[in-house]
Amino acid sequence: MELLSILTPMFFTLVTAGTVIGIIFGAIPGMTATMAVAVCLPLTYSLGLENGLALLLGLYVGGISGGLVPAILLNIPGTPSSITTTLDGYPMTQNGEGERALKIGITSSLIGGLFSLAALYLFAPALADFAIKFSYIEKFLIIFFALTVMAALSSSLLVGIFSGFLGIFISLIGAYDISRGGNGELRLVPESLEYYLESGFSLLPVLIGLFGLATILIEAEQGMKEGQSLSGVKIGGKPFKLSIFKGQFVNLFRSSAIGTFVGILPGVGGSAASILAYSQEKNFSKTPEKFGKGEPAGVIASESANNGLTGGALVPLLSLGIPGDSTTAILIGAFTLQGIQVGPLFIGNNPVTWDAMIIAMLVANIVMFLVMVFAIRHLAKVVTVPKNILFPIILMMCVVGAYTINYGVMFDVWTLLIFGLFGYLAHKIGLEIAPFIIGFILGPSAEIYFVKSLESFGTFSIFFTKSWIAGLLWVLIAISIAFSISVARKKNKTENE
Amino acid sequence: MSFDSPFHVTIDFDTSHMIFPTIIAIILGILFTAILITRGRTMLATITNGPWWPAGIDHMRFFGTLVLTVIYFTAMPSVGDFFPNTGLGFYLCSIPYLFALSTLFLHERTRRTLLIAGANALIAPTIVWYILSELFNISLP
Repeated sequence: MELLSILTPMFFTLVTAGTVIGIIFGAIPGMTATMAVAVCLPLTYSLGLENGLALLLGLYVGGISGGLVPAILLNIPGTPSSITTTLDGYPMTQNGEGERALKIGITSSLIGGLFSLAALYLFAPALADFAIKFSYIEKFLIIFFALTVMAALSSSLLVGIFSGFLGIFISLIGAYDISRGGNGELRLVPESLEYYLESGFSLLPVLIGLFGLATILIEAEQGMKEGQSLSGVKIGGKPFKLSIFKGQFVNLFRSSAIGTFVGILPGVGGSAASILAYSQEKNFSKTPEKFGKGEPAGVIASESANNGLTGGALVPLLSLGIPGDSTTAILIGAFTLQGIQVGPLFIGNNPVTWDAMIIAMLVANIVMFLVMVFAIRHLAKVVTVPKNILFPIILMMCVVGAYTINYGVMFDVWTLLIFGLFGYLAHKIGLEIAPFIIGFILGPSAEIYFVKSLESFGTFSIFFTKSWIAGLLWVLIAISIAFSISVARKKNKTENE
Repeated sequence: MSFDSPFHVTIDFDTSHMIFPTIIAIILGILFTAILITRGRTMLATITNGPWWPAGIDHMRFFGTLVLTVIYFTAMPSVGDFFPNTGLGFYLCSIPYLFALSTLFLHERTRRTLLIAGANALIAPTIVWYILSELFNISLP
């Protein structure tokens, strides 16, 4: 009954609004689902947890899905995760099959989203039940494992792991938290900033800076290209029929599963999911030569995989407290705002919120499908919205978000600028933002788990001998490092050849 | 932290706040050195071959965005001090900021595009200020 009291018209309106806004963000090249969630996060403060999550999950699903619009119509991926959609989607548009390609992509997105939602519903509670037994040692090793996985799947192992550790280091600025057993002493803070940095940098201004301001600075650096023109783009043409999916069941299932699995791995973005699914489909295809020339199977693989990510990325977040990607890392902010900690106890202690999240994801996927199928001709026009109008509004919203998050602290607005510049610099020098963010979020917990374990047991060997789970985690850590070294060697070999 | 044997340690609670940052700093140093060793040549080639930043970027729009943003951030609390607890610092500074930024980002500054930028600069902050400050009582600078 408590759940029914949450499922108000407001709840459904927020999911719908979030999904539509998310689609618009995703459809505009340069704006991503992560940016949409980061910018709108502070608005959830006054909405309450369930309604706030309804909005943010709608933004997440819509943002990931919207990227297919410019990918198919203009050959520009709206989000990084729709990069492989351009390969066959755009040739289809050139062949006069724009609408057909869009609807194939939308339907595949729905199937991928629902598949991953089912995985989330089944796996997250089971994983959480298992993780409840974890002591500080296993929790520390889980974070360590997450960092090695992120590094393994980064474009460079060393840079990925460096970015993750840099995120941890910056998260340690401020006092060693007394409420979690620390001694309350300040560290890494210049004397002149002790007043402002007693609790370190606030998470949300950091996120808004990295995903809002930094993106706009990168666009400004490139001259803020004007909105794209749709003139000459054939949206109509050959009609869409569901029979196109005949014989594509394996592709849909495999790609959705790849997306979900990649989502579960911490810190790995949607682009990895869609690239992996696309290359697998091409490898298994009887007609690989058709790929890249307007093959519907390519669009199906790419779109079902990147939407498969949405539910998958929530599995480690809700069961272990470890975000699956940068967007779900920002969702942690929504829980923090409401004073709720995500981790193994979350689902058991908040069953109503958990059910509300599942319903919000389900509704968001259905709304995404309906809105995009029936309004695609109108929605496609958002790619033409001028950036000179949109980006100043986004910057203003970034300021509002940063300022209001701690009830009006101007230093948080400056934090937004500092991390906006840092994000820009990271982009220039090739630092990886996803591992940085996850390191930043998990750093304080990693410190507590590590130091308290040493205080209790007085030996480093406890990290190896505490339990069979610790042993298993070390094996997984070793596998992930070995995998990344092997990938790096192969890459070097290919480059040398 | 003191080492009793290679694996055994004793943690001094008074200095425990520095244990983890020290370990992370050492790891960062090692990783940075490893990056320099493995990618040093590529990095050196990039530095020596150029072009040096900020060559090749849109100077006007990039630095213009930065300068306008710094002025906006600085002006908001100062203007807000004249009208405490009203959010007017945010509102009054956002209008010129949005207009200046929209104009800066424009490629063709015609009467029509400037009018749209002006209308956007007036309408967007008004709506945000009204909803957040007046309706929801949320603090704004």
